[in-house]
Amino acid sequence: MTFNAAALLLLIAGLALIGWLAGRARSNLLAGRAGEKLHSRPQYHGWYVALWLFAPAALFLAVWSSMSPALITNQVLTSEAAQSLPSFGFERGAILSDARAVAQGRQAAVRLPAAAPLVKPYADASHKYAWIGIAAMLALALAGGLYAFTRIKPDFRARTRVEKIVMLFLLLASLVAILTTFGIVLSLLFESIRFFRLVSPAELLFGTEWAPTSGAPQPDTFGGIPLFWGTILIGAIIAMIVAIPIGMMTAVYLTQYAAPAVRKWVKPILEILAGVPTVVYGYFAALTVAPALREFAVMLGIPNASTESALAAGIVMGVMIIPFVSSMADDSINAVPQAMRDGSLALGATPNETIRQVLIPAALPGVMGGILLAVSRAIGETMIVVMAAGLSANMTANPFASVTTVTAQIVKLLTGDQEFDSAKTLAAFALGLVLFIVTLLLNIVALRIVKKYREAYE
Amino acid sequence: MNRQTAPTDWKGAVMQKRIAGRYAAERRFRLMGLGAVLLSGAFLAFLLFVMVGNGARGFMYTHVEVPVDFRAMPLTVDKTRLGDADADQVIANAGLADIVAFAADEALGTDGSKLISENAWKEVRSAIKDNPELLNARTVFDLPASSEVDIAAKEGAKGALGAKVDALEKDGKLSTGIHWPFFRNADATDPAVAGIWGALKGSVLTIFIAFLIAFPTGVLAALYLEEYAPKNRWTDLIEVSINNLAAVPSIIFGLLALAVFINWFGLCQASPLVGGLTLALMTMPVIVIASRNAIKSVPPSIRDAALGVGASPVQVVFHHVLPLALPGILTGTIIGMARALGETAPLLLVGMRAFIGDVPGGICSPSTVLPMQIFLWSDEVDRGFVEKTSAAIIVLLVVLLSMNAFAIYLRNKFEKRW
Repeated sequence: MTFNAAALLLLIAGLALIGWLAGRARSNLLAGRAGEKLHSRPQYHGWYVALWLFAPAALFLAVWSSMSPALITNQVLTSEAAQSLPSFGFERGAILSDARAVAQGRQAAVRLPAAAPLVKPYADASHKYAWIGIAAMLALALAGGLYAFTRIKPDFRARTRVEKIVMLFLLLASLVAILTTFGIVLSLLFESIRFFRLVSPAELLFGTEWAPTSGAPQPDTFGGIPLFWGTILIGAIIAMIVAIPIGMMTAVYLTQYAAPAVRKWVKPILEILAGVPTVVYGYFAALTVAPALREFAVMLGIPNASTESALAAGIVMGVMIIPFVSSMADDSINAVPQAMRDGSLALGATPNETIRQVLIPAALPGVMGGILLAVSRAIGETMIVVMAAGLSANMTANPFASVTTVTAQIVKLLTGDQEFDSAKTLAAFALGLVLFIVTLLLNIVALRIVKKYREAYE
Repeated sequence: MNRQTAPTDWKGAVMQKRIAGRYAAERRFRLMGLGAVLLSGAFLAFLLFVMVGNGARGFMYTHVEVPVDFRAMPLTVDKTRLGDADADQVIANAGLADIVAFAADEALGTDGSKLISENAWKEVRSAIKDNPELLNARTVFDLPASSEVDIAAKEGAKGALGAKVDALEKDGKLSTGIHWPFFRNADATDPAVAGIWGALKGSVLTIFIAFLIAFPTGVLAALYLEEYAPKNRWTDLIEVSINNLAAVPSIIFGLLALAVFINWFGLCQASPLVGGLTLALMTMPVIVIASRNAIKSVPPSIRDAALGVGASPVQVVFHHVLPLALPGILTGTIIGMARALGETAPLLLVGMRAFIGDVPGGICSPSTVLPMQIFLWSDEVDRGFVEKTSAAIIVLLVVLLSMNAFAIYLRNKFEKRW
C-alpha cells in the first residue's frame, strides 16, 4: 500500500462530482418543498458543495505528499534495523533509497545487502502513513462536503460565494507572472552573489581573459569582455547589417508599393522565417553557410578563417530577425498619418522621395524602438551561436574568425558534468544576470520610445 | 527691391533631365524594395531546399539481402520462452548476432558482416519472435546495410567499398525502401537503427504539460487583467512583468528552471515534467498577450446587454465574453505552443541533452525532445547522421507548419469582425 497522489486526486475529484450532483439536487428539493424561489441557480449550490469537498482535501494532499517521505524515513530510522547503518554520508543515503525502492515495489530486489533488513520497516512505515494520510484526507473531504451541504437553503447565496472563489483563482493566475519574474530575478541574483564572492564583479565585467576551463596549473579566469564583444559582433553588428536594410525595404515595399493581393500572400510567407526553430537555423548555419564562407575567405586570403565563424552565425541570425524588423517597421510606417504622405505627394514628390524624406523620418522613433527590440532578441539567441559561432573566446574584429557569445558560454558552462556549486556553474548564472539586465534595459528603452512616439501622432 | 524670377521652364532640357533622373531613382528604389522581398523569399526557399534535399534521403535506407539458414547454424533456444518478457535477452544470449554475422560473411564474401549494420541481427530477432518457425528454415532477410554502405549506395563511392556496393547492386542484393525504424525507434549510436519516435513522444509529453499549465493560467490571467483588475500599482506591476517576460531570452528560463525546479524542488531531471514546466513559464506571457487582444476585441455592447438582463460580472465573462474570444485565444495559444515545440535552449540547461536510448515511459522518465534530437545528431561524427538530422528537421517543420496553418484556419473560420 503506497501513497499514490494522482489516484487520490482522481478519487476526491470523483467525490466532488458526487457532491456537485447532491448539492444541486438538494437545492432543488428544498426550494420545491418550501415553495420559495432559489437565490442562486441550483448548479451554483452544486459548485459550492464540490469546492468545499475538493479544495481542503486537495490542499491536504499536496502538503501530505511532500511531508510523508520525511515522516516515513524518520520512523524507519527509529527501528532496530536502522541502528547498524553508517552514520552519515553518501552510503547511508544509497542504502535508504535502495530499501525505499524495493518497499514501494519499483524494484524487484535490493541491490545493496545492507538495505535488506530495512525493507520491512520501510514497507510498514509507508503502509501506516499512507493509511493515516488517506483517512485524514477523506475525513477532510467529507467534513467540508457535509458543512457545505448543510448550509444549502433556498435563500443561501451560493453564487456569490462561488464567484468569490472564481475571482480568487483569476487573481492567483495573474500573480504567476509576477512570481516568475521574481523567481528569475531572485535565482539569478542569488547564484550570482555566490559567484561574486569567488570572483569580483569587476573582473567579470572588465576582464579581458575568458578561460574557465584552463585546468589546474593556472587559475580559471572569468573576464567577460571577449564574450560581450562576440555577442555584440554577432547580434548587434552582423545580424543587424543583414536584417535592417532587408527588413526595412521589405516593409517599405509591402506597405507602399505592393498590391494588396501580393501583400496578403507575401507577408505570411515571410512570417515563416520567424517560425522556423532556431535549432534549424543553427544547423543550416553550421552545415551550409559556414563552410561556404570559409571557402570564400580562403579564396580572398583572409587569415584565421574558421568553419565556426562569427559571420555565418550573424548572417543566419539576421535572416531570422528580418520578419521581426519588417513587422515593426510596417507598424511604425502605418502609424504615420495619411495626411503627411498625401501632402508630400501633392507637392510633387515622387513616392520614393516621400518615403525617404517624409515617412521614414516620421517613423524613425518607432523604427529605432523596433531595432532595439530586434537587438535584444538577437543577443539572447542561443542555438545559432552554440552551433555555428564556436566556443573560443577571441577578441577579434575579423568576422571570419571564431568568436563566442554570452549565451553560448552559459550553455557550455552548464552542460558539462561539474559540481553544481563550482565557480563555473555559478559563472553561468552571473552571465545570465548580465544578459537579463541588458535585454531588460533594451526592452524598456525601446517600449518607451515606441510609446512616446505613438502618443505624438494620436 | 523686387526681383522678378523667370518662371521655371518645365519643358526645358535641364528640367526634363532632372525629372527623368527622379523617375529613374524611383524605379531603382522600387526595384530595391522588390529585391529585398525576393531576397528574404530566396533565403527561405534556399533553407527549405537544403533541408528537404538532404533530408528526403534520410527517410530511406539501403537494405541488403542476406539468407540465414538456421538448419545449418541452429540457434539453441527454448521455443516456449520466445513469448516471455525476457525473450530478447534469451535470443541475444544464444548468439544470434554471431550467426547473422557469419551468414553475412558467407553470402556477401569476406567481411560481408561489415556491410550490414551491427544492429541488423535485432531485425532477425524480432522476426523470430513473431514467427518461431523461422528457426527451422532458410530465410532471406532484408537487413539494414551499414551506414557506410548506405551512403555509398545513395551517393556513390570510390575505392574498394564503391566496387563492392556496385557489385551488390548488380546482383540485385541491394534494395532501398522507407526506413520504418526511423519512425519507430529512439536515439541510438548506429544511424541504421536511430529513430525519432523517442524524441517525438518526449516532445508530445512536454508540450502537453506546458499546455496544461500555461493555457488555463494564461487565459485566467488575461481575463482578470482585461475584465476585473482595478487600476492600481499591483495591476501595473503584473502588466509590466508579463510584457517583460515575453521579451526575456529563452535561455534565462532555462537558468530559472535549473535553479528552482531541479536544484530547489528536486524534480526529476531531464524529464518532460521539468521541460514542460519550463516551457509553460515561457509560453504563458505569449498566451496572456494574445488572449487579452482577443478579449479586447469583444465589443462592450455584449457585456452591457448581459449585465442588463441581470447576469453577474462573473457570468458575463464566462458565459459571453470568453466563448466569443475563444477562437482568438486558441489561435494565440497554438502559435505559442508551436514556438515552445521548436525551443531548444532552455531545455539544454535542464538536462534534456543526454543520450536517451529508450522511448520515454512517463512524465518523470528521462527523455529528449525533437529539436534537441536535431541538435544532438548535428554533433555526431558518423556521416550517416547528416541526413537523419535533416530528416528530423523535416518532421519538425511539418509539425510546426501544420500547427500554424491550423491556427490560421481557426482564425479565418471563427474570428468575428465586430
